[in-house]
Amino acid sequence: MREADKREKIRQAYVNAAPDICDAILIDCSQKKGQVIVMEETKKNKKPLKYLMAAAVCLVFVMGGGFGLKAYRVNYRVDSTVSLEVNPSLQILVNEKEKVLDVKALNGDGEIVIGDMDLSRSDVNVAVNALVGSMLRNGYLNDLANSILISVDNDDTEKGALLQEKLTNEVNKMLESDGFPGAVLSQTITGSADLQQLADQYGITSGKAQLIQDILDSGRGYTFEELVPFSINELNLLIEAAESGIEKVSAVGNASDKAYIGVEKVKEIALAHAGLSEGDISFYRTDMDVERGVLVYEIDFYCGGYEYEFDIDARTGEVVKNKISQTMDYYENPNHDGAYGNENSAGAGSNANTGTGAGTGSNANTGTGAGTGSNANTGTGVGTGGVDPSAPITVERAKEIALNHAGQTADAVWFEKAKQDYDDGLLVYEIEFVAGNVEYEYEINAQTGDIVKNKREMADTLHNENAGNTSASITVDQAKEIALNHAGQTADAVWFQKAKQDYDDGLLVYEIEFIAGNMEYEYEIDAQTGAVRDYEWDYD
Amino acid sequence: MFHWAQIDNRRGDCSDDAVEQCLLAIKKQDLNALEELYYRTGASVFGFALSTLKNAQDAEDVMHDLYVAVWSGAGKYCAEGRPMAWILTITRNLCLQKYREYQKRSDIPQEDWESYIESNPNMSPEDRLILAECMGRLSDQERQIVVLHAAAGFRHREIAKLLDLPLSTVLSKYNRALKKLRNFMEESKEDERG
Repeated sequence: MREADKREKIRQAYVNAAPDICDAILIDCSQKKGQVIVMEETKKNKKPLKYLMAAAVCLVFVMGGGFGLKAYRVNYRVDSTVSLEVNPSLQILVNEKEKVLDVKALNGDGEIVIGDMDLSRSDVNVAVNALVGSMLRNGYLNDLANSILISVDNDDTEKGALLQEKLTNEVNKMLESDGFPGAVLSQTITGSADLQQLADQYGITSGKAQLIQDILDSGRGYTFEELVPFSINELNLLIEAAESGIEKVSAVGNASDKAYIGVEKVKEIALAHAGLSEGDISFYRTDMDVERGVLVYEIDFYCGGYEYEFDIDARTGEVVKNKISQTMDYYENPNHDGAYGNENSAGAGSNANTGTGAGTGSNANTGTGAGTGSNANTGTGVGTGGVDPSAPITVERAKEIALNHAGQTADAVWFEKAKQDYDDGLLVYEIEFVAGNVEYEYEINAQTGDIVKNKREMADTLHNENAGNTSASITVDQAKEIALNHAGQTADAVWFQKAKQDYDDGLLVYEIEFIAGNMEYEYEIDAQTGAVRDYEWDYD
Repeated sequence: MFHWAQIDNRRGDCSDDAVEQCLLAIKKQDLNALEELYYRTGASVFGFALSTLKNAQDAEDVMHDLYVAVWSGAGKYCAEGRPMAWILTITRNLCLQKYREYQKRSDIPQEDWESYIESNPNMSPEDRLILAECMGRLSDQERQIVVLHAAAGFRHREIAKLLDLPLSTVLSKYNRALKKLRNFMEESKEDERG
């Protein structure tokens, strides 16, 4: 091919690649134009004809451009904000045509959910579908935590409600077709400044802030602060426990309580603690509640003129509080012998149940419920996170390979990640699991099953991001400087690709990546001490 | 107002005379001329911004800001026969400004050109391949040089001046870039024959 032909082909490709944002530009400029004319008129009005003509041109444009202005509003202005929350928090900015303008991750889990997907310009329901699919694939929606909150923020409440309904149906349909028993909470919010302030203060979405506010309004005496760390699933359990339900929130499906010991177990523990058997009691009632920031089951029952009340830690089965009080029955039956003499004998009950939640937890690992979500992805940004069903090695097989290599068995480890990804164009499974206090990371070739990469390290502080240090003592700029010094580079010679906080083994770090010439540098800097924890130099 | 179809044959044609005529009309606040300028020069402006920033959203922002800047700054343009150099100098400055914003915010957006290409309905499969090759195979500077030469019609000497590089560097980088793309281009031609 001649050089000129090549040049023409390249030129054509760029011509076709350029976006058509001319309308938006013309609108902005026409507004500036109006100002210019006014200014000139006051300055010098010697040539009225010229300005009249200019004004006429402007008028024609404004009339003719009416379409353009509308097009701008329809296409570029944020009309609704949709937030999706499970624990990953995502915010989707939507225009009047219900097309996505942008998807933002509000936390690290949100970033994982978005992965490489570029959802801008797609329909909002397609985007929601793809994001929920990714949540399923990444194990954020699972048997133990199946609740998702959809909040639609639109100044026009009616429109917001319609979109809320549409998205709720979309998500329900999707979860149903996946056979996943999900619970979908949805609400319409109209962005108030107070709510936004609360959301900003606690670093949560305005949707979650609204949900918490609604629970507080139902008058159960919690504090806002107390409920912030709760997941949507936990909040959903509290909503279900509220006798009257919560008016402003519509709920479909039931929140999963599989991470908790369950009503039957609670009854057993409470009875054991009271030294009673089921036949002794006349009536009982259980409820979910919060006691000192911990989700508990409240159980009340009556026996022989006494009312027994227990608060039992919903995860561990530990009896947090117990109370016994006489009821009117006692006076009516004075012969009662007062069966409750053994308050301390119930220890066995609570110990027996500790850890139930954690045991079932291993079922929550990622990689199940694959395919469905990724199909909704309209072709953009497939790649990472998408599952290629043609790969000869299944995720289960990849897990097996990794486990064999590590000398572990599935029931002795806790899977943190098991998903397909591309590494240097190679389709691999990324498998991560923890056994004891050792963390294993594997990359398994999805075609051959070969182990491409493996790493093991002591997980001294296991990924407990909430409990760990959440404030950095060095700034991101200092971290960048440390990395630059270490690499022997200066800021003006490099092109930063990434500089953000992250957690590694529960430790707050800065991940810094930059390019200088054709070298790519990756650094992990301890956000407390500024120490270089890890680095890698690569030819780009 | 021009319509896309009417102006189609002028799309991407940024010959000096035509662009200069547009700028002179824009000086007189002629919005039609701005629209014509957009369709003539948009590919070069966006191509250069995308080559530099590798993020389509930001390249689009730069493109928007460029035409708004041209509109309000056309008065400063002195007819000197190279209007494209003026336009692309502003484009380059806007890109540098983006860099500085990134650094200030410590937030470097992800490269999104792949998904941009995939989802762009105006591009033919061949266009996509060519752009992906340019984006993926060439270094930033090589790509800028290719875009300036192929899309904006810059001479090598002008590229050297705009990018502040020795002429010899521009020449060798251009040839190197074309060589990198050659294999691919020849292959795709063979495919067509086959």
